[in-house]
This record gives sequence, structure tokens and C-alpha cells, in this order.
Amino acid sequence: MKQLIELEINGQRQELLVEPHTSLLQCLREQAFLKGAKRGCDSGGCGCCTVLVDGRAVYSCMTLVMSVEGRSITTVEGLSGEGALDPVQQAFIDAGAVQCGYCTCGMMMAARQLLDDNPDPSEEEIRKGIAGNLCRCTGYAKIVEAIRLAASRRQGHSVGEAG
Amino acid sequence: MTEFRTIGRSIPRPDAFDKVTGGKHYPVNVSLPGMLHAKLLRSPLPHARILSIDTSEAERLPGVRAVLVPDEVPRIPLTPVYFTPVQSPTMVQDFVVMSRQVRWAGQPVAAVAADTPEIAEQALELIAVEYEELPTVFDPEEAMAEGAPQLHEHAPGNIAKHEVFSMGDLEQGFAEADHVFEGVYQTQRVHTCYMEPRVCVVDSDTDGRLTVWSSMQHAFGLREKLAFALGIPESRVNVVKPRYIGGGFGGKLDMGFIEPIAALLSRKTGRPVRAEQSRGEDFITTARHPIKVYLRTGVKKDGTFTARHIKSILDAGAHATHGSEVIMVHGLFGTLFPWKCPNQTWEGFAVYTNNMIGGGYRGYGAPQGCFAVESQNDEICEALGLDPIEFRLRNTWREGDPHPAIEGHTLNTYRLEDCLRQGAERIGFGERRPAASGEGTKRRGIGFACHPLWVSGCVGFPDIYEHAGAIVKLNRDATADVVTACVDLGCGQITVLTQIVAEELQLPPESVRLSYADTDIAPFDAPTHASRATYSAGLAVQAAARDARRRLLEAAGHVMGADPQTLVLEEGRVMVRGQPDSARPMAEIIARAEAPWIEVGPEGPVPTTLEEKGTIMGLACQAPPSNPSPVGAEFVEVEVDTETGEVKVLRVVYAHDVGRLLHRSGAEGQVEGGFQQGMGYALMEQMVFDEETGAHLTGDFLDYKIPTAVEMPRSIEAIFIESDEPSGPYGAKSLSEMCLIVPAAAIANAVYNATGARIRDLPITPEKVLRALGKL
Repeated sequence: MKQLIELEINGQRQELLVEPHTSLLQCLREQAFLKGAKRGCDSGGCGCCTVLVDGRAVYSCMTLVMSVEGRSITTVEGLSGEGALDPVQQAFIDAGAVQCGYCTCGMMMAARQLLDDNPDPSEEEIRKGIAGNLCRCTGYAKIVEAIRLAASRRQGHSVGEAG
Repeated sequence: MTEFRTIGRSIPRPDAFDKVTGGKHYPVNVSLPGMLHAKLLRSPLPHARILSIDTSEAERLPGVRAVLVPDEVPRIPLTPVYFTPVQSPTMVQDFVVMSRQVRWAGQPVAAVAADTPEIAEQALELIAVEYEELPTVFDPEEAMAEGAPQLHEHAPGNIAKHEVFSMGDLEQGFAEADHVFEGVYQTQRVHTCYMEPRVCVVDSDTDGRLTVWSSMQHAFGLREKLAFALGIPESRVNVVKPRYIGGGFGGKLDMGFIEPIAALLSRKTGRPVRAEQSRGEDFITTARHPIKVYLRTGVKKDGTFTARHIKSILDAGAHATHGSEVIMVHGLFGTLFPWKCPNQTWEGFAVYTNNMIGGGYRGYGAPQGCFAVESQNDEICEALGLDPIEFRLRNTWREGDPHPAIEGHTLNTYRLEDCLRQGAERIGFGERRPAASGEGTKRRGIGFACHPLWVSGCVGFPDIYEHAGAIVKLNRDATADVVTACVDLGCGQITVLTQIVAEELQLPPESVRLSYADTDIAPFDAPTHASRATYSAGLAVQAAARDARRRLLEAAGHVMGADPQTLVLEEGRVMVRGQPDSARPMAEIIARAEAPWIEVGPEGPVPTTLEEKGTIMGLACQAPPSNPSPVGAEFVEVEVDTETGEVKVLRVVYAHDVGRLLHRSGAEGQVEGGFQQGMGYALMEQMVFDEETGAHLTGDFLDYKIPTAVEMPRSIEAIFIESDEPSGPYGAKSLSEMCLIVPAAAIANAVYNATGARIRDLPITPEKVLRALGKL
């Protein structure tokens, strides 16, 4: 039986008609037409589908959309505001952390939560922070570099801003 | 050295902005109005004959639009491998899209198109298939033995391919040896693990002509194979090149089952049909072939090779597909020709079993060969107390030597010695301790391996496509559109091809765009494989850009009343060499060539037309002139926990002769990512199958572990030895595959140095380490 639920996606409230078994990933991709979260495995193994629910990174393929009713969802499309990229996005470009790019959006969402929790992470903390996200192109070296770069830019730019 | 404007600069990737803001253009996002969704029913049995299929219940399920069974699929034997012409005699044509004869667990036996993927999935459960079970064989050597179940009528003894290649006098060579070494080296089945699943959308037009969007690595190959499989002319298929795909690494090198099945379902329903594989299906679509290598080597006291006998047995699985070619590349480029040995015989078998089929994977037979040969080379040095670097140099090639494998070609650039010496110095190889001399639970060791011959494409392989083509079209706003069928899998072709055109036309890279391309409009281009794209497609794009520049200067000559020979391009302007005052904007020349040019004079607008030109376009369709070998040597430091058997890679130094570096950051990315795949191959990755049913047991990333950021070494250092390859674009050679050919052998040698344990079968799991240390 389909059911009408309300979600806040990237700051906008939306009503969606979903099945009890619809995953958040399916809902985002097929009904909200947000293609940034990707399906890589559908079993919580790769992290390509990572989005933020109330600021926490989750595998959207393993999250039933009904379980996040009324909560605030942030996808990669919600990262950049008013024409400016999020520091994490810009750092991924500048550090050369994007190759095929299929893991990139999920990886950046994991990085966003990491940096929100810990604005100045060590290399080990960065590596642990993205351990739930697989990449097969980069060997992670430039991804780690990008997150470090984003951290330093955020610190430089976010003085006085609320967390 | 020539000064370049864009070449050699790590420009931002033109595709990066799109990818960090959502990545709109992956094939997985293609969606058409009215599109249906296809799912495949796969056999649970590894060897069987289908007696009957009842689809009536499935057809009655609301939302089901069509069901496809083997009898409706053209029975055209083919190979899905698409870097050779369809009827190439070297490729075994033993594959049909859907058959009543089942040879592996997972083989598609029926398909459904429905309004949603969920309905299609449900319908699969309603299809009743009656099978007659047949005896199975999963081990290639058992399959070769007398009395084994026979899988294909055309292949007695289950031999899909048997090749022997000899040089010199083997017997004489072994007689001359002071020492003979023997070993058996086994590699496992692994998957490329691209992140974007295989997916396609096929739309059959009212007249039956097909338009195809697919995640494959080769647009023209898909057109050719799909048309062949369906028994229609090639021009009845148009394959749209994906702007980019989510990884491939060889795993998307051939037509899958989904493309022809979606095509047939689209024809049946008159609607576009999309098929997207699950991760479990991706795993069993193609994989790197396991190869068992029997290696026997004769050496002089000083380490000079006198003789080598190599026997390689490749598990092709149920169909030959790539197996019949991988075995050859493995034999010739993975084991035989990289090393200078006067007397060698290689014998290779590709053997049918009831396992899944294999496919391409970065290195294409060479990682298996390098692991065997470089492991044994290390054993020889240890046993004879030889300096392992001098040993390699003694037995490999020199710059200027004739190409050992391709007649008429020369190793123009070959800096293996620099790679070995600089890599050794950087990791501190001189201070390496003798094997197993450490103390305590955790023991460190350093090892290395090299691969002294590889390819920049396929020139010299007479049956394999290598042509490339491109169109460069100049726009009136002084930008360039590039039409090329070359697919970027993520390794950076969009970037380097952009750089090349920008360099030739002296434009900023932002003014060059790799535009839409499909097989209707783009010239033929061979697949993005065999480390060829930067070299071969790069040369074609360069030639097309030069053609466009020549036409531009001719038009400028008319406009400026100057001899085109005296004109040069600079910063978006055309000028007479040495006369900056003569400069005219490129945009003006392009516009005047293409359309009426309106000058506003004192009397008002005055249209003038330059009749000689029209749109300025450059075209090139060509084969590259050569196949220069990249070479590389990789050094690793590992730490082995002798209580748990766990191996940790601490540090990597990879020195690589790539010719001129076009984009350092991209090249580093190839090295770092290649090492990740190589480390997975060496230490943890292995597809596991049920021994009785043949069912794949490691079909997701919870069971099939690939390295995460935590397992990866903290330091991967890439040293690029820049040579100036005369045949390459700006002196460039290739890179990608070398980064994955070498790591497994380097890690195995480092594990030996740390512990004295010589592991000859991959992956080097903790269990194997403990066993080798006598602790299990």
C-alpha cells in the first residue's frame, strides 16, 4: 500500500507517495529526481548512496524512506549554495580526487559529516571517517588530501560561523 | 625541452565540476519516457539442459509487458569480445546470448520486461524451468583429464585454446644452466569492482533501428557485436557514447547479456527497455581469469638466463570469450618477451569449466605472469645470493634494442634502469635487511618487482583494432568541439584529449569541449583498453586538431592577405610571426569563414562573405605508428604480524617511465588506484564459489573485501622518469595497466623478505602466511 509522507530534502518540504519497502535511495533518485546519490551495491557495502539525515551520514540504500519521515535530508545537490561550491566539493576538484566520480558524491557526504563533527581531523581520523565508502579508482590518496584541504579551508573561512 | 601551454600542467579535470555536483551524465541516469525495466532469470545449476520453460504465469502478472525465452533469441555463435572483428579466426565463437544449454550457474535463461523493476523481479519467480542436470567440472586440470564432462562439442578435452611458442633450443639452454629453478604459481578469480553497475537502455525505433545507451567501454564494439548477435546490419544500431562511466578497468570491455536482451525486449514491446544489473550480477558477468603457471628456469652462476619453460593453464569458464586472448597476452607479454632469455618455450591452455566466464581486467594476463616470473626471479636471487637489481638489468632490454615482440619496431624509450635505481634509492633498498632477519612479532620487509615490457595500445597485434579517429570543429566564439568515440572510464581521457586540442590550437582548456558522440557521427575508435587511449586516441585527436589549425590559418591567410605559412596562433589570436600588430582574433577568422561577416562602416553595415571555407573542421582517422613500451619498478615495505599472519603495506614507491607526463596529478591517480587494486589482488580479494553447485558466494562488498582507506598504505610515492617517446603525442607513452601488473609480485617478495615465507598462490591471506611459518 502506498502512503503519503513528507520529507525535507535539501531544505525544501516535499510530499511523496511511497511503498513501505521503498528505500530512501530509490525515493531520492526516482521520485525526487536527485541523481547525486548512486546505487553501487544496494547492500550497504560501497557507500555510493551516502546522504545526510539530520546531519548524519547514512547509506540511503539501507534506509527505508518511511523511517526518515519528517526528517531533514541533505544530498550532494544540497551542498552547494548560491552558485558557490561547498569547500569539500571544491577541494575534491582541486586535489584531483575525482576520477570516474561514481563514489565521489557519497564520499563527500561522509566527509561533510566528518568535518562537521571534527573540523581538524588527523589523517587517521579522515581514513576512518571514509572507511564506509569504497573507491576503486584513486587508492584514496587524493581523497584524503582533498578532505585535509577542505578542513583547512573551512577553518580559514568559518571563523565565527555557527557549527 | 619544448615549452608547452597546457601539456604537463595538472589542469582541473573538465568533468570534475559535474561529478562533484551530482554527476548527471552516468549511463545509470539515462531515462526515457515510457521506459520498461528488464530483469534476467539465471540458472541455479552449473551444467544442465533446459527441458521446458513455462512463462504463462509470469505473463499474466499485471505490469509484465514481455517475456523472452531462449527459443526467441537468434542462435548465432559469437564472441562478446569486441576489440577484434566479429569473425576473427583467433577468437573462439562459442557464445550465444541465450541458450537451452546451461554451462554455468548464473547463465541467463529467460528475461522479463515490466513497468517497474520490482514487477519484473516478481515475474521471474513465476517462470517455471525444468532442467536435466549434467555432470560438472570446476577445476581446469580436472577438465583436461580423460573422462571429464565435455562442455562443448567443438572442444575435445575442454581445450578452448592451446598455443605453443618457442625460441632457441630449450634442451641446450637447460644443459648450459648452472642452476635450475622450478615452481608453481597460482592466481585467483577477482572482479574489477567498478562502482557503477553495468546498465543499458535500448530503444527500438518504429522501423526496428536500435539506439543504445550503455556503460560499455567501446561504443563501436558494442554496435558491431549487438548487430552481429541479432543478425542485422551494423548501420541498424546507433550506440551513444556515454560522456563518462563509473569505472570499467576492463570489466565493461565486452557486450553483456543485458544489451541484446534489452534490444529484443524493446523490439517485442515497442518501448525503450532499461536493464541494470545488481552487484551480485556484476560479479558474475566477467572476472580476471585464474591462471596456474608452471615455471622452470635455468640460469648461469652470474644470474644470466639460459632457458625458461613456462606452462600456463587458464580457467576460461563456460565460454572462451576473452580467455582465448588473455592466455596469449599472458604468455607473450606477461611471461616470455619481457625477459631476455635465448631459449624459451611457453605453452598455454585456455580450458573450459563450469565456472563463470572471464573477461578483461587491467593488465590482461600480465598480472598473473608477472606474479609468477617476478616471484621466481626473487627466489633465484635469494638462492644464489645475487643483487636483485643487477639481476633484472642483466636479463632485460636496453633503450634502442629491437622490440622483442613486434617486428620492425624499436624500444626507442626504455628507462628501466633509471626506474630500478631511483626507486631503490628512494625506499632505501641498499639498507634492506636479509630475509627473515627481523625479531619480534611484527616483522618488516622490503620487496620489489618490475615488468620489463608492456604496451601503449595494440599495434603489432594483427587481429586487434587499433585505429582511432576524431573531428575537431571550431566555433565562432573561438572554442573547439571534439567528436571522438573514445570513452573515459575515469582514467582521464576527457582531460588529456582536451589538453592536446588546447595545446594545438593555443586555446585555454576551458575553450575545448569533448562533445556528444555516437556511432552515427563519430569516426571509429578502438576501445579504451590496453593502455592505449592517451597514446592512440591522443595521436588521433592531435592530428585532427592540427588539421583544423591548418584550415584556420588558410582562412586567416585570405582574411589577412598573408601567406598562411607565416601565420601563427597565440592566445586566441592569429598573427604574422613576429608581428603582434597584425593579430586578429581567432573568433573573427572562424566567423568570417563560416558565415556572412558584417562590418559596420560609415555607410552602415556591409556584409562580406569569404567564399573559400565554411565551418573550420579538422578530421583524422589513423592507426598509431608504434607501440612503445612503458616500464616500471615498484618497491614496497610491508609489516607482517607473525602471530596473526596479517600483512600490512606501509609504504610504496613506484618509478615509472611513461614518456612525457601530460598531467601529473592524473598520472599519480593511476599509480595510487592501480596499487589499491594490486594490493587487493595480493592480499585479500578472491571470488569464492560453492564447490558443488558452482554458486557464487561473495556477491557483495561485505563478502568480497576490497581495500578501504584504512587498509591502504599511508604513503604511495610516484616517481616519473620522463622520456621523450618520438612516436607519442608530445612524447607520451601509456600508464594505466602497468600500475596493476606489478604490485602483487612486489608484495609477495616483501612478505618473503620480512618473514622467509614464500607464498606462491594469491591472495596472501593470514592463514597462508601462518601455514608457511609453520604456525597452523
